Amino acid sequence: MKTSRTSRSRTAADISAVLARWLLGAVFLYMGLSKALHPVDFLKLVRQYDLVQSSLLLNSIAAALPWFEIFCGLLLLAGVAVRGAALTLMLMLVPFTVLVFHRALAIRAALDIPFCAVKFDCGCGTGVVFICRKLLENFLLIMLSGWLLAGYGRQFSLRFDLIKSHPRQGETEEILVSSPDDRD
Amino acid sequence: MAPGRWPTVKWVLLEAALVVVIGALFAFAANQVSPRGLALTRNYFPAGTGRLVPATPLATLPHNATSTNSMAVTPAQLLAAELKEKGLQLVDGSQAVRFFHDPRFRQDIVVFVDARDEQHYREGHIPGAYEFDPYRPEKYFSAVLPVCKAAEQIVVYCNGGDCDDSETAAILLRDVGIVNQKLLVYGGGITEWTTNGLPVEMGGRNSGDLRNSSK
Repeated sequence: MKTSRTSRSRTAADISAVLARWLLGAVFLYMGLSKALHPVDFLKLVRQYDLVQSSLLLNSIAAALPWFEIFCGLLLLAGVAVRGAALTLMLMLVPFTVLVFHRALAIRAALDIPFCAVKFDCGCGTGVVFICRKLLENFLLIMLSGWLLAGYGRQFSLRFDLIKSHPRQGETEEILVSSPDDRD
Repeated sequence: MAPGRWPTVKWVLLEAALVVVIGALFAFAANQVSPRGLALTRNYFPAGTGRLVPATPLATLPHNATSTNSMAVTPAQLLAAELKEKGLQLVDGSQAVRFFHDPRFRQDIVVFVDARDEQHYREGHIPGAYEFDPYRPEKYFSAVLPVCKAAEQIVVYCNGGDCDDSETAAILLRDVGIVNQKLLVYGGGITEWTTNGLPVEMGGRNSGDLRNSSK
C-alpha cells in the first residue's frame, strides 16, 4: 500500500520534472529566438546596461547570447546534457537578475515611483514588463534550473548525462545514486 | 559534501563547461550565418552613449547641467546642447513642418531621412522621407548618399523621445562625407509628427498611400 503510494508520487514527480524541463527549454528557445530575430534591438538594450565599453565585446554579447539561449533551450527540450545546461542557465540567470534589479532601482529612483510600478524592456526577450513580475519569473526559472540540476527530469531524454562517468572501484554506488531519479 | 559525491559534481561541471564551449561556437556560427547577424567589429553607436533626455527627469541630472542663471532648462534645450556637442543641430516640430511644406522639399533640396528600421518605416513615415536604418547602412547608402550630397538640408528623425537612432544616422552620414551644417535632427520624431495629426505615408517611399495620423 505504502509502496504503491510512494510509486505514484514518484511518477507524478517524474512527470512534473519532465514538464519543467520542457517548459524551461521552451522559454529559453522562445526568448532566444525573439532576440535572434531582432539582434539590433537586443544590441541597443544590452547597451543600456553600460556593461562594457568595447564595441567588439558589446557586439559579441548581443550576437552570441540569443543563440546560446536557443542552444540551451534545445538541449533541455531534447534532454541532452541536462544538468550541464541547467547549471549554465542558472549561472546566467543569477547575474542577469541582479543586473535587471539594479537597473530597476535606478529607474525607480529617477522617476520616483514605487518599485513594482517600474516597467521597462530588460532585453530578456519578453518586451516591456513590470519589474516585480520579471523578478518573480526569473526566480521561478532559477528554481526550475536548480530542480533539473539536482538530477530530475530524466525521462524522455535523449542523453541526460552527456559525459558518462567511469567510476573507480567503491565509487560506483555513490555515483549511480547521485541522480534522484535513480534512487529507490 | 560527501567525499563520494565529488565525482558526480565534477562530471556536471565538466558537462556545463562543454555546454558553454559548444554553445558559444554554435552561437557565433549562427550569428555569422544569419542574414540578420551582427557584424562584430562594427561600431553601431558612433554617436557614443545613449540619449539622456527626455527620458531622464531633470531632477536626476547633475545640478550644473540643469540650472543656468537659476532658470530651469527644458529637455529640448538639453538635447540641443547634447547634439551641438556632436556638431549637430536640433529642429523642433514647427520647424520640421516648415521644412515639409517648403517648396524645396519637392525638389530634394530639403530631404527627410527616416532612421528607423524597415518594418517601422513601412508602417508609416513622413511622406517622401528616405529610408536609412543606421544599423544596416550598407543597404541604403546607394540610394541615400547621392540625394544627401545634393541636398541643402537634411532632416533626420527616428521615433523621438529617448530614441537616438537619428543621431546615429546623422553621424554616419557625416562620417561618409555629408557636410555637418546640413544635418538637422528632428528630436520629436515620428511620435510627435503623428501626435500632431500630420500625414504619414505607408509602405515604400512615394507609394502614394497617404494617411492622416489621428490627433
